[in-house]
Amino acid sequence: MEILQYSLRKLIAGIPLVLGVTLISFLLIVYFGPDKTYDLLGKNPTAEEIAEVRSQLGYDRPFVPRYLEYLHEVITFDFGNSESTDEKVSTILSRTIPVSIALALPGFILGNVLGVMFALLAAYFRGRWIDKFIMGFAAIGMSISFLIAIIGFQILLSSSDGLDLFPVRGWDTSTPLQYLRYVTVPTLATVFIALGYNTRFYRAVIVEEMTRDHVRTAKAFGTPPARLFYRNILKNSMIPIVTRIVFSIPFIVISGSLLLESYFGIPGIGKVTYDAIITGDQPVLKAVVALTAILFVVAQLLTDICYRAVDPRVSLK
Amino acid sequence: MSTMNTSAVSGIDGHGDSLWLKAARKFKRDRVGMWALFGVFIYAVIALGVVFGFWGGAWADVTGPKWAPVSAEYWFGTNIIGQDIFARALYSTRTAFEVGLLVAIGATALGAVFGAVAGFFSGTWIDEIIIWVMGVLDSVPFILLVAAIAYSLGGSPWAMHIAMIATFWIGTARLVRGEVIKLKTLEYVEAAHAIGLGKVKIIFRHILPNTFHILLVQATISFVAAIKSEVILSFLGLGVKDGMSWGLMISESTFEVLAGFFNNFIAASVLMFGLVMAFNMFSDALQDALDPRSVK
Amino acid sequence: MIAMTAKARAKSSDILLSVRDLVVEFATDQGIVRAVDGVSFTIKAGETVGLVGESGCGKTVTGLAILGLIPSPPGRIVSGSIELQGQDLTQLSEPELRKIRGSEISMIFQEPMTALNPVFRIGSQMIDVLRRHQQLSKRQAHAAAIEMLAKVGIPDPAVRIEEYPHQLSGGMRQRVMIAMALSCGPKLLIADEPTTALDVTTQAQVIEQIIKLQSEFGMAMILITHDLGVVAETCRQAIVMYCGSVLENAPVTELFAHPRHPYTLGLLGSIPRLQADRQTKLPIISGMVPDLLHLPSGCRFADRCNKVMQQCRQQRPLLGALPDTSTKVACYDPH
Repeated sequence: MEILQYSLRKLIAGIPLVLGVTLISFLLIVYFGPDKTYDLLGKNPTAEEIAEVRSQLGYDRPFVPRYLEYLHEVITFDFGNSESTDEKVSTILSRTIPVSIALALPGFILGNVLGVMFALLAAYFRGRWIDKFIMGFAAIGMSISFLIAIIGFQILLSSSDGLDLFPVRGWDTSTPLQYLRYVTVPTLATVFIALGYNTRFYRAVIVEEMTRDHVRTAKAFGTPPARLFYRNILKNSMIPIVTRIVFSIPFIVISGSLLLESYFGIPGIGKVTYDAIITGDQPVLKAVVALTAILFVVAQLLTDICYRAVDPRVSLK
Repeated sequence: MSTMNTSAVSGIDGHGDSLWLKAARKFKRDRVGMWALFGVFIYAVIALGVVFGFWGGAWADVTGPKWAPVSAEYWFGTNIIGQDIFARALYSTRTAFEVGLLVAIGATALGAVFGAVAGFFSGTWIDEIIIWVMGVLDSVPFILLVAAIAYSLGGSPWAMHIAMIATFWIGTARLVRGEVIKLKTLEYVEAAHAIGLGKVKIIFRHILPNTFHILLVQATISFVAAIKSEVILSFLGLGVKDGMSWGLMISESTFEVLAGFFNNFIAASVLMFGLVMAFNMFSDALQDALDPRSVK
Repeated sequence: MIAMTAKARAKSSDILLSVRDLVVEFATDQGIVRAVDGVSFTIKAGETVGLVGESGCGKTVTGLAILGLIPSPPGRIVSGSIELQGQDLTQLSEPELRKIRGSEISMIFQEPMTALNPVFRIGSQMIDVLRRHQQLSKRQAHAAAIEMLAKVGIPDPAVRIEEYPHQLSGGMRQRVMIAMALSCGPKLLIADEPTTALDVTTQAQVIEQIIKLQSEFGMAMILITHDLGVVAETCRQAIVMYCGSVLENAPVTELFAHPRHPYTLGLLGSIPRLQADRQTKLPIISGMVPDLLHLPSGCRFADRCNKVMQQCRQQRPLLGALPDTSTKVACYDPH
């Protein structure tokens, strides 16, 4: 019950954020965005024709009602139809989001789980060669562009110049085997890049926890290393780690896969967003922006609840 | 422990020279950091050479056959229409510095001002508004923001720079805000209040200079982030509009690699990797040297 | 061999801990720092010894070294021995040391606010220690923990045991630390500035509690402090440290009546006294503590000493017994 009340309060507190994001995106995408008038008109339009199309598009109306209309769309989550495919935007989203999740999930999980594992190893052997090796590898991962990693793995694994094991591009989830064939190369590229950043971040968090006073206390009372790691270090580092993981979810769902999907031609929401950017498909863009903002508020709520579960000092009040 | 006392004392009258001298001394001892700085320096020389027209000027000329191999004439070979990849790679170095420097300076300056103001007025509506703006900008997907800014600027080539500055300042502002909240309770700031100095003067003359160590490190981080983002944005068609960049080279190369021609891809990737790696290491060493927590 | 030395020392069988020529070094960016340089002392069973000195003089490092808790890297015990009832702790393996930590020797720290793990209830942390060192069931350990909490003067121990550290005041947390430290009946308690972080009234109560429990449990204690007043109240023996080495080691009554080392004299002089004439300034020791990286080659105190001689700057005076007293002092010209 307490949780429910708290969540409600938090969601209400997230309204200014959603308002801000929608306001900015409305200003940039719609109000100052591309003028669609001439796309809808034939050659040599008359002044009346222009005026008619402009009023159809709502360009002749003042800012506030137009923004309120957008807000109404956000609340009902009805953004109308895509301008390029004329498909209902909500249908597009519900079709493409699962694809994006299927694409991003393996890399997301592996990148974080391996990141925490390598970070623990590096932190435990802090200053030794194993730490230097892992952190050197992380530094390399951080210095390589995601795009270069994608192309690199594609050359190595998918091209006739490399091992030629996987399809060059595309997407197919009809059988688990097909899914594996198509998801492997994007996942490898994602993990390779994510590991650099994650390992560094998690190691810093863990090292900081390792030097806390209570860790010294536990040592002074004869706590064996495994227990020390679990009870004093891992549990206390969970807060920043969970925060990072949860806050990356909105981007994974929406834009994180934009590059992957447009590069490999995978029909997820990233590809849809990219196409909408290129064609200036406003209904789709508005929906994507609003969805990200809402996911952000939810992520914030989730991390707060996680804090509560891990750290007794945080109360839900 | 006497060393700790002196640093605590010098912390009050601003950082004084001792922190910077100490940092410089520490940095000079950091072998990796020095090598990284040397690497960045080499790249900077290459970029300056392009600016002054010593090399890289012929990046757009079609001078050779399609896909010429590496030779004495074409050091890195030629691309699909016979342009010299070496010249293009050199010219791209200039572009990288241009993007990196502009974004780093813009984002750091913006972050410093808003971070300092928010921190100084922490707990008031001014702070609340700045935090709200930061939260909002953080929640807009980066690529969408670039696209949106590009739209509203009518496809201006500066849309990418502006979008990067509009997002990268936030990280800096958050750090500066935290530091300023700490600084403003220090005696010297209270003394400045007591002698009746204006708020603007206190913020920009007495507090902000003491966050310079944060700004320096953040600027290097923004520089790297800008170069990396440029590659992806240029590939997506949202980045560099006129001119040549590593991102455009890689974008070009995506067709070539499938045909088995790798020169373009390798030249851009390796050059970019070298600069980013060197800058990352430089940034790390700088952070180490300036970290007040690392004793001595 | 070891048995022989143990036997040889067994005639003074009440010696619990014997630290000999302990040297601890830390590697820093600017070179090796010798934080503890040739420290020797002994502690008899049940005795309280004060380890006194300014911050950074190596007293905490000495305490940590006894438990084998020097963070390594960058620190390490370079030489010397630490014998607990004839067993050299520096030669023990990590698992063997773990058996001693918290059971034979306990340590409590300066910062009660951060010394306990914030994410576990205090009961859980106490039971963890109890069950590690003693064959107790969960229920027994729980009862023992409550009993210990009552002993250190925590009201409603059965309720408090379910609380998290942040729900307790600083004084209460330090009491919990003491309860945890004493729960397995250690022979030696190392208390590192246990009251420095507490407010003055709480300080007195906590010190009193420690002394009471110490006699009740019959354990020896090393009290690490910079507060000579506390030492005068609680300790039988006092060891004065400066820049990593012992300058004077004397019974407390001796030390206060006849401070032998100029540094001790200076320390005692800088304590304000109520009876003293308000007009006279508090005497202070002039100069600064030398940087541990650039220690003088002779006596470490030479630069600040008003009796300094040629000899002091050339060779370090060794800690030696003063004739006809039980005081040991490292000075060529003791008072």
